[in-house]
Amino acid sequence: MYVDIYKYILLFSIFHSSTYLTFSLGFSMLFGVAKIPNLAYGSLYILSAYVMYALTTYIGLEPLVAALVAILVAGLASLLIGEVVVKPGLKMPVSVFITTLSVAYIFEEFFRIEMGLRPITLPVYPGVTYVLGVPVSNHWFLILSASLLMFLSLTAFLKYAVLGRSIRAVAESWDESRRLGIDPLKVLRVAFFVAGVYAGATGVLLTPLKALTPTAGWGPLFTAFAIVALGGVGSVTGTLIASFIYGFFEQSMTYVLGSGVASISPLILIVLVLVFRPQGLMGRVE
Amino acid sequence: MVFAKRSAKDLIVGKIPFLIALAVLTLLPLLNVGGFWLDVLTKVNLFLLVTLAIDLYSGTTYYLNLGVSFTFGFAGYSLALLNVYYGIPTEYSMLLAIPISIFFSLAILLPSLKIRGVYFAILSLLVPIIFIGIVTAQPFSLYLGGEGGLRFKQLFLDFARSLPPGIRLTFLQYSYYYISLAAAVVGYVIAYKIGFSDFGFMLRAVGQDEELAEGTGINTLKVKVIGFLISSAYASVAGALYASMRPPVTVDLVVPANTLIPPLTSVIVGGLGTLIGPAIANYLLLLTYELLWGLIGRWRVIAYMLLLIIIITIKPQGIVFKAYVEARKFLRGVFSE
Repeated sequence: MYVDIYKYILLFSIFHSSTYLTFSLGFSMLFGVAKIPNLAYGSLYILSAYVMYALTTYIGLEPLVAALVAILVAGLASLLIGEVVVKPGLKMPVSVFITTLSVAYIFEEFFRIEMGLRPITLPVYPGVTYVLGVPVSNHWFLILSASLLMFLSLTAFLKYAVLGRSIRAVAESWDESRRLGIDPLKVLRVAFFVAGVYAGATGVLLTPLKALTPTAGWGPLFTAFAIVALGGVGSVTGTLIASFIYGFFEQSMTYVLGSGVASISPLILIVLVLVFRPQGLMGRVE
Repeated sequence: MVFAKRSAKDLIVGKIPFLIALAVLTLLPLLNVGGFWLDVLTKVNLFLLVTLAIDLYSGTTYYLNLGVSFTFGFAGYSLALLNVYYGIPTEYSMLLAIPISIFFSLAILLPSLKIRGVYFAILSLLVPIIFIGIVTAQPFSLYLGGEGGLRFKQLFLDFARSLPPGIRLTFLQYSYYYISLAAAVVGYVIAYKIGFSDFGFMLRAVGQDEELAEGTGINTLKVKVIGFLISSAYASVAGALYASMRPPVTVDLVVPANTLIPPLTSVIVGGLGTLIGPAIANYLLLLTYELLWGLIGRWRVIAYMLLLIIIITIKPQGIVFKAYVEARKFLRGVFSE
């Protein structure tokens, strides 16, 4: 019987970690470039989920097509937020804090008024697979593979593509990259779009497993925040490691302490890590 | 330095605007503004203390302390716990809660003071979130009231009960209002004295360039710790007073959206580190928000947030302080002619 529980914890630690990875990746990359946390990130998550919900239930589109449209909408919305709200305040980071937060409230209120507080849900990828004797919904495998794909493609993009390299250059130093002929504002635009696409993909992927309400954007936002702090701002690999630490720690604590305290136990761990290593696990000292 | 201080002081202080504002706020309740607005004004007066807490520390040193809502709420919880478990009357537990909350804020947030930049902000934001998690999770929720909160007798309730029934509520509302006003006025005057003292300039020096400040012989860590202490004291007083007037104490006191974001917004719209700007913005913004409720009902949040975005994207450095200085220059010109 014990073996079963450990298997269960192991499996679901991996799955939960992969969900954390999906919603931290875009946030992490954008945080690294802009040096400012985009607090409207969670609203892109709910935006894409609501768009997909509307497209599948009211218009009757195929789930896959609806998901792609929803992801694109989130990307464009992110681009718009970057242009209109973030860019004017880049010299005053604190002000961006408030403006992006205001955007998040606007989304939340809008969906609260238009859709109500009734939770919505999206179609689950059908089927169940047995792993080590534990039944697992195929949707978890979809999330796991999507998260790894998202991680690998982001890493490859940042490493090999010209635009991706420019993103890294700008994240390193705005002034230096300007000297190299890179326009940081243009790069920022790309970063906002990519981050939006990632947030949108997360909303579409995770909503089938957790019902969605207008306030659902805050949880992922705070978790992404914590994970990026743990992994180090601007490090995608750090985000990967931190997501898995977060997931494994949370799942094992759920077993030890029960679900109430367990949800905040990783945050306490992160505070302790940051006190001793302020730049996070993989971050650089400024 | 002395010259710079004088001229800055000259522009910002202005005894006359201060006295006018004080007179308006003192006489306003006598115009029979109604219970609702009296409640709102009481809240706004107390939020001035939180705004000043943020402006005094984060506005000058640029260390963004997002843990203010933790200090605010912790004072409320200390009050309630002293009252519920030790039977200390609200009037006294309120006073005891202030040093307790200051102590715990320092103990919890001080280790993070050596961390610079955005990491300090992240870390300080995690503190209230962890606190909310603890309060609402089993087994702590059994003792801390969980979602429903901790109930206790509100401030002056025993005395109010000795009054004739018809004026009980009025008595409570008016006494709360004048207590909050007194706290706001005293808080503002002290903040002002600190802001333009040598210590205030040391805080600004830390904000400008910490290494340079250290080079000129300022013990930056000491300055930061004392600044943090003062800021926590402001937030604790505000939290203890606010909680004592509105039982039960719930996590709403700690939720950053309730007790951190509105004052922080005032600081930004007002102009960081200028004290008078955030103070004016505190009244303007919070009263606007309440007014919108009557005007457009449920769309008020969206309208208010759009307004904020427009104001802040046009002038990220804060608009109220600049407007205030311009207005004073203009008035001075009019009167000197």
